[in-house]
Amino acid sequence: MLMVNNVTKTLLFLVLNLVVAFNVASHERFMVPSHTLLSVVDSKKVTLIASISNAIFHPDMPLGDSNTGADVGDLADLFKLLKHQVINPKGDVNQNVRWQAFSRLSVADVEIKDTGTYRISLVQPDVAMTTFKKADGTPWRLFGTKPSLPAGATDVVRRTTSSRVETFVTLNAPSKAAVNPTGQGLELAGETHPNDLFALEAAQFQLFFNGKPLTIPAKVKVIKAGTRHRNNRNEQALSIDDEGKFTFIAQQAGFYFLAAETKVEAIDEPNVDVKHFSLYLSLEVFPQ
Amino acid sequence: MKYIIAIFVLLSLWLSPSLSAQQLSVSIEIPVIDTTPYHRPYVAVWIETPKRKGVHTLAFWQEQSDWYKDLRQWWRKIGRINSPNYDAMTSATKKAGTYQLFWDGNLVTGETVSAGKYVVHIEAVREQGSREYLRQVITLGNNKTQHYQLQGKTELGSIKISIK
Repeated sequence: MLMVNNVTKTLLFLVLNLVVAFNVASHERFMVPSHTLLSVVDSKKVTLIASISNAIFHPDMPLGDSNTGADVGDLADLFKLLKHQVINPKGDVNQNVRWQAFSRLSVADVEIKDTGTYRISLVQPDVAMTTFKKADGTPWRLFGTKPSLPAGATDVVRRTTSSRVETFVTLNAPSKAAVNPTGQGLELAGETHPNDLFALEAAQFQLFFNGKPLTIPAKVKVIKAGTRHRNNRNEQALSIDDEGKFTFIAQQAGFYFLAAETKVEAIDEPNVDVKHFSLYLSLEVFPQ
Repeated sequence: MKYIIAIFVLLSLWLSPSLSAQQLSVSIEIPVIDTTPYHRPYVAVWIETPKRKGVHTLAFWQEQSDWYKDLRQWWRKIGRINSPNYDAMTSATKKAGTYQLFWDGNLVTGETVSAGKYVVHIEAVREQGSREYLRQVITLGNNKTQHYQLQGKTELGSIKISIK
């Protein structure tokens, strides 16, 4: 219960825009690798940073820790829930990646040994949250599985949120085993390899939901890195077809943030009404 | 000689009359932006000299001090220097709508601003949104009525400045 309370506080801290329209994850989060492409004979390491921040890709708060990092306060309870995953080119999943939190970001080293593509992820399983309107009509939310609601609460919806924060790194030729959906939450695959992106080329992607092509509506947006140093955020909404397919054309080289979110009604879970799923990807695009 | 001094005194009085007769008003529109999540913008309206010296803050709408610096120009010229300079003009962020600001030319020091050219600065920045920054040169203390209209494109709507 104590932990639930702490997670509650943590998430409350992350969800500061209580008053306006409902949105599940009000802060962006991302993971950026030092290198997305490597051409070496021996194994190499890449260093990744992860952060919870609305400035793309400028860090604000850490994301992920293996209990060896800085004192991150209540965030530690969120970090305990995260799965630290690396999928290698054979498709094997390694859960032993060491992430270390600093005050403003988290860092990990990942060894890239084999030719092909690695997927590196921080996976957040379902976290329970209830949204409602207070007696005076103010929209509000509480975390935890069974929060005690104030008297007169209306429009009560019990929700869960889960997310994947991930990126791809390729040694020599890209491969698909690590890109193929694991079957958990929202994932990106498709015709174009996420480590084979060039400016002004149309990348054909497809979103998968719990391992199958996404057939329900989802919001997909792309933001180019560097929001901190420009006045216009230039958030680009992408439309998907009824199989989750979409086209992305980067106008310029650079790192791009791609976020997707969807929700489903929880049919077989008696204590949940709606389940929310998010994907936060960083993609590197090279010049023509 | 007496005449020359008298002329100088008169001239200097004419050049720097008290502003008590003139009032600056700024009407500022925060546009409706239909997005989720929507955070209300942080906004600052302030006066500088043409040489970019901060003079006076007319309004500073904010929530948390962490993000004051994102009003980059206001922070640089006024915010970071001394909070008593704007404490009295600080209030919470506002929802979309049109707001009226007035200034009688009195500075926080209690003095009245001297006559001359000034620049009205309006800056707005929204979390997970954009930043917008508009400026208008005005003249204070010449007893001439002036009207200016500016149009924002992202975080600001119609801005009307008048001096009477």
